[in-house]
Amino acid sequence: MTDGYLTKAAAQRLADDLGEPGWLAERRTEAFDLYEKLDYPDPKGEEWRYTNVRGFDFERFSSPVPGGAAPLLPDDLAAKGVIFEDFRTAAAEHPELLKEHFFTDVPVDEHKFTALHAAFHSDDILVYVPRGVEVTMPLEVARRVSSGGSIFPHTSIVVEAQAALTFVDRFGSEDFPDPSLCASVVEIQAGRGGMVNYISLQDWGRTVSHFQTQRFTGGRDSTVRSLAVNLGSSFARTQVESVLKGEGAFSEMLGLYFADSDQHFAQRTLQFHDGPHGTSDLLYKGALKERSRSEYSGLIKVAKGAQGTDAYQANRNLLLSDESLAHSIPQLEIEANEVRCTHGATVSPVEEEHLFYLMSRGIDRVTAQKLVVFGFFRDVLDRIRVPGVRDDLSDAISAKVEGDKRLEVAV
Amino acid sequence: MADNLLAIEDLHVEVEGKEIIRGLNLSLDKGEIHAIMGPNGSGKSTLAYVLTGRPGYEVTAGKVFYKGEDVLDLAPDERAKRGIFLAFQYPTEVPGVSVVNFMRTAYNAIHSDAQKSAMAFRMYLQEKIDLLEIPSELVDRYVNQGFSGGEKKRNEVLQMAVLEPELAIMDETDSGLDIDALRHVSEGVNKLAGPDVGIMLITHYQRLLNYIRPDKVHVLMQGQIVTSGGFELAERLEAEGYAQVGEEFGLSQEALAELKQKEKE
Ligand SMILES: Nc1ncnc2c1ncn2[C@@H]1O[C@H](COP(=O)(O)OP(=O)(O)OP(=O)(O)O)[C@@H](O)[C@H]1O
Ligand SMILES: [Mg+2]
Repeated sequence: MTDGYLTKAAAQRLADDLGEPGWLAERRTEAFDLYEKLDYPDPKGEEWRYTNVRGFDFERFSSPVPGGAAPLLPDDLAAKGVIFEDFRTAAAEHPELLKEHFFTDVPVDEHKFTALHAAFHSDDILVYVPRGVEVTMPLEVARRVSSGGSIFPHTSIVVEAQAALTFVDRFGSEDFPDPSLCASVVEIQAGRGGMVNYISLQDWGRTVSHFQTQRFTGGRDSTVRSLAVNLGSSFARTQVESVLKGEGAFSEMLGLYFADSDQHFAQRTLQFHDGPHGTSDLLYKGALKERSRSEYSGLIKVAKGAQGTDAYQANRNLLLSDESLAHSIPQLEIEANEVRCTHGATVSPVEEEHLFYLMSRGIDRVTAQKLVVFGFFRDVLDRIRVPGVRDDLSDAISAKVEGDKRLEVAV
Repeated sequence: MADNLLAIEDLHVEVEGKEIIRGLNLSLDKGEIHAIMGPNGSGKSTLAYVLTGRPGYEVTAGKVFYKGEDVLDLAPDERAKRGIFLAFQYPTEVPGVSVVNFMRTAYNAIHSDAQKSAMAFRMYLQEKIDLLEIPSELVDRYVNQGFSGGEKKRNEVLQMAVLEPELAIMDETDSGLDIDALRHVSEGVNKLAGPDVGIMLITHYQRLLNYIRPDKVHVLMQGQIVTSGGFELAERLEAEGYAQVGEEFGLSQEALAELKQKEKE
């Protein structure tokens, strides 16, 4: 049962194994048909520019084996009506909620990877925070994959009016002998005055390919914060979209990536101002070492009715080697007339002058580089509100600069 | 020779294929303060950078001994660990790195057998801040970012006081300081000075030398030390200008014409 590859039969079997109700199971097979019909994303189009996934071989991965650790919800939160459960439980206990919030923001047929995700979603999480409830401690899940395997985690989060939640999604593994796949979809809604902070930490082993689509929808006066981190994997594509629907919505979008060896990271962002007087503030920062590559392409889109929009977008890249490469493409699409949009992109090498100054004080070259890299990431790190995450990232950045041993494992 | 703290022998240095230091000799002993004076572009900063190992400065001939060891092949951090320090003429801004974190990292690298915890270092740093009467909020900011010209210079002196080098090269640390700051900086340098420390003061102004009395004054022109003397040489330069002195010590006609032109301006 576990040796199947990503076939329609495997999708069906997955539904059976999970004991899914008919409506949920049917969606899998429908999605599989879509996946087969859909062409690969066009590398000439804006969204996948520089990221050619044509010919990406899906057949080599075995189908997902569900069975991640069950989510743990403290009793006091459960008593307040907070829901934090996997889809299997949610399908039995809260089918209406699941129906309403599963694949409603991200369309199944958005591209080949979302369709495949919809056919094989596994280790799914549904979080629901009722009106006015503030969850003070962050909720967390850790995603795992096996060598040669695949995982399609779905995270659906609903934060009702005046409620608050911080959620940390961790993707991590060791380096495997065989290539593995993760295709994840994240759908998050914040109601009126609701606050949500979603952090995704991608630190897969070097043989994993990672595809992720995150979509946030913010209601009136809501606050939506996101942090997308890419450190591991051989190839990662992260698409983060924030829709500011309600009047006065606020969205903070942070990104941090650090690539080395032959790693290739692609990130695509969208700040979609669909309601008036929204504010979006995006800062994506990346460092690149050795022969690694990154692309950033970010669109600020302002709908006709979104007067009084204030949108800010910055992408900064620091090159630690001559062979590394970073592309940055900001785009604007503005239909309203009373708006303020600012965007900027930079790609710059580490300044020898900075290193010399630090070294002239007795600091060795690697430590000097570390100081410069931390200095570069400082403003993103300072804005991360979860201390544990900040510490983990600091450790990871240090290890990256030093050249962590695992980096020697060939891709 | 081997007893000198610093011995420079027939040093030639090229920058981007152009010879800037052209056969320079100089020796400095422990406990001594030497002033180096010279017109703009004569090679003073180049000398300071070569001594500290800045990339891009090619030594084509000559040797530099520090405590008897040839240091020209050592990386900048190795030289600093041996006790060489440069107060930069134009201190570098390093975004996102706080002064206190930077200085503690440097201190622990240089004094690796007497490392200080964050708390202990903070207290140690405060003593130096008080000594130099530096605004203490400066050390919580990012290295030299948004610092005024004078603040950058004072931050250099603070680093010197913290790291306690044995050879301190100060490249125009007095330029851009107000009268009070000049006094504080001079007091700081005088406190650091002592029987085990050598100081090389690069300056344009006799004013600094009124506060910090040099044992020797060298005149650097066209990449060479053309003459050396005592404090009276600094007074003479102030009174007569470089052209006069240059003529007397055999500077080429073109170089003299250039100097005279500059002095007119
Ligand atoms: N990177 C470089 N490329 C080309 N020329 C250089 C470079 N660095 C220094 N020089 C030249 O070397 C000469 C000496 O410069 P240096 O900075 O050592 O002078 P200085 O004596 O310190 O002058 P000042 O009193 O103005 O500080 C100058 O003519 C300068 O233009
Ligand atoms: Mg100079």
